[in-house]
Amino acid sequence: MKRLLAATAAAAAGAACVAAVVVLRRAGRTRQAGRPGLRETGLRENRRLHRNLRLRRGLATIQLAARGGARYASSAPRLFAAAGEHRQQLRNDLALQTAEDVASTLGTMKGVLMKLGQMASYIDNGLSPSVRRTLSRLQDSVPPMSPELAAQVVESELGGPPEQVFASWDPEPIAAASIGQVHRAITRDGRAVAVKVQYPGIAETIAADLGNVALLRRMLKVTAPSQDVDALLGELRERVLEELDYRREADNQRLFADYYDGHPTIVIPAVVDELSTRRVVTSELADGARFADLASWSQSERDLAAETIYRFVFRSLYELHAFNGDPHPGNYLFHGGGRVTFLDFGLVRRFTEVELEPLMQMARYLCVEHDPEAFRRNLEKAGFLRAGAPLSTEQIVEHMALFYDTVRESRPLTMTGDYSSAVVRRFFDVRSPVTTYAQIPRSYVILQRINLGLFGLLGELTATANWRAIAEEIWPFVLGPPTTPIGEAEVAWRTRHPVTLAGPAAAGARAAG
Amino acid sequence: MTISDAGQYATAAGLVERTAAAYVSGVPELPADDGLFGPASVTWKISGDLTGPVAGLRSLIMQALHPLAMAGVDQHSGWREDPVGRLAATSAYVTTVSFGERATAERAAARVRRVHTRVTGVDGVTGRRYEASDPALLLWVHAALVESTVTVRRLLGTPLTAQDADRYVAEMVVAAELVGVPAGMVPASMAELDAYIESVRPELRCTPAAGESMAYLLDPPGLDEEIADIWQDVRYGAIASLPDWAREMYGYTAEPLTPARREEIRQVLGVLDAVFLGEPGVLEARQRITALMRAAARPA
Repeated sequence: MKRLLAATAAAAAGAACVAAVVVLRRAGRTRQAGRPGLRETGLRENRRLHRNLRLRRGLATIQLAARGGARYASSAPRLFAAAGEHRQQLRNDLALQTAEDVASTLGTMKGVLMKLGQMASYIDNGLSPSVRRTLSRLQDSVPPMSPELAAQVVESELGGPPEQVFASWDPEPIAAASIGQVHRAITRDGRAVAVKVQYPGIAETIAADLGNVALLRRMLKVTAPSQDVDALLGELRERVLEELDYRREADNQRLFADYYDGHPTIVIPAVVDELSTRRVVTSELADGARFADLASWSQSERDLAAETIYRFVFRSLYELHAFNGDPHPGNYLFHGGGRVTFLDFGLVRRFTEVELEPLMQMARYLCVEHDPEAFRRNLEKAGFLRAGAPLSTEQIVEHMALFYDTVRESRPLTMTGDYSSAVVRRFFDVRSPVTTYAQIPRSYVILQRINLGLFGLLGELTATANWRAIAEEIWPFVLGPPTTPIGEAEVAWRTRHPVTLAGPAAAGARAAG
Repeated sequence: MTISDAGQYATAAGLVERTAAAYVSGVPELPADDGLFGPASVTWKISGDLTGPVAGLRSLIMQALHPLAMAGVDQHSGWREDPVGRLAATSAYVTTVSFGERATAERAAARVRRVHTRVTGVDGVTGRRYEASDPALLLWVHAALVESTVTVRRLLGTPLTAQDADRYVAEMVVAAELVGVPAGMVPASMAELDAYIESVRPELRCTPAAGESMAYLLDPPGLDEEIADIWQDVRYGAIASLPDWAREMYGYTAEPLTPARREEIRQVLGVLDAVFLGEPGVLEARQRITALMRAAARPA
């Protein structure tokens, strides 16, 4: 188990700009020749699709999804050789009926393990098969609440039974959330909504278990170097504790929804404030294709979806100073033409200007100014690398370059599984001679997660784009002109969001430059 | 126990994997009947508790205090060569009797009775002859398991009412009968169980074989590193839950079980349970049991 959690922690530990730095301490010996997994390709003809994209804007109708809670249903066939009615009965029988059932399923560290496991669950290469199995089994082991139990939570949070609070309420959950489940409903003013309901008592249980710092530290200690364990543990505890209060999630979702309001391809469901509390969060219901469905979509559609995800991640970081820390494939819905709905803002990390600035400068000096010494100074400034380490700057740049490979040169590149694997492998390579001089400052722990996750997702989509050109549009120290149809479509939205141009991040960059 | 004594024992590697496989083998996929106890029983309710490993270890510590029972195990079972295999076999038997179909449980018990007929000898410490099929010995083994399950559950597990404890002891009479103890001899309530254990106390002692084998179990060599860490707390729980007199016989000491310490042990047991759940088939086996229990609780 220690091994398990250590791997989890390492996976969750410490980003591309940031990943690069962290990798210093884990980085391998010799850099592979070339760019692992990156393929050069020609530009794609996407004009027609992009016209469609504009047409679809605003046409995305919100429908009641007919999709069942896939996870619940899918585990049933393994239990009995029964189908149909029997399976439904089984699902009902396994449902959590009381707060005591919740405690016995998710109490005594299981909820905490599940949360930590979830943080690493989308990374294939960093975890051994047995660790992955244990973590995924743990997730499978949590059944949904019975309709009665979910109704009790709604009643105690919203002041009335769901049938009264909502015009229509579907007692069957449509999806599992890590510490709750999602129900469809229609509000009294006629909006179709998704209502996330938290398991009763779970917040208290997890908070109590997170209090056993000694056990957590013991579990995390094995592979994470000792100087990192406390920083890591502190950050993980804080983030998990935040996730327990849905009001915080609602605040974050509002922040993103407001910012991306009117964006041509990024869709954030609006929060219904009056139906959101500590344990219940209600937002507009979104429907769309799942990540797995993209496998059957055309490559040009996949490229567009990937571009939107990429823009979302880096605009959020550089302009909103916020990072959605859960790039789980289940947190996206795809609508074609590059439109993507982003779900689940439970794990958002907001950054101060001071925290962000060195990251920005690192990208700037490595990729734009080509000034390795300044790059190194910023590594040190951010706290990733101990000042005065007896390492040549060349050696450092050599190890880090892999993480910037997609943005070092302006040309179309294809992300592949090989590339994301190479990134993860280098990240987990503990034999680096520079380990002694590197560390992960606590503020950046979560960034690491997103970066590894992002590379994994884009690699799975085998997405092609000129990532550098897109990055230049977003980098506050470049603020380049639109380079793709989505970029052009963004212009109208951007003029309504002047924060992009006059935001603190851009100001910081100018001051530092 | 000295270090050199440890040399004659095989390592405890694979403890979790093999006990998990044993558990899965004992829970049928499509049972033809509800078995000896059934989904409405306290036996089913009680056996899913995460204190199981502590209760199991405590039972063995208690059982070993009977010189004749210990001598039988020591001289015949060959457990030194394959201690994990022996534990897994015991665990498979208990699971089969608890959750297996009637016929399966009865077959397993018949096998045990057959093996017992061959286990006879003389205890080198007391000089007394023993036979494993002796109901008096079998009853002690039975009582130690039942009493440990209740005591550990009460100390470290989720609460158990006095009524449920009595029901559990009464339900377990069948299990004792299966291995060959006449029902009339078997305690059928907590009061009877406590009185019985009190009555056996004069016969109990920590023989060298008991001290040595328990020292192995308390600190088994070769455990996977992560499990070894967890095992320290399992051991602590088992020792802390022993009656004072039993602890004194072994010469064990245990710091008092404070509420904070209790919570810590429960958390560690939760981690162990998560590891157990990660083994193939364990989650499905548990879900089968839960589903049947829920179906039994549903109004017809």
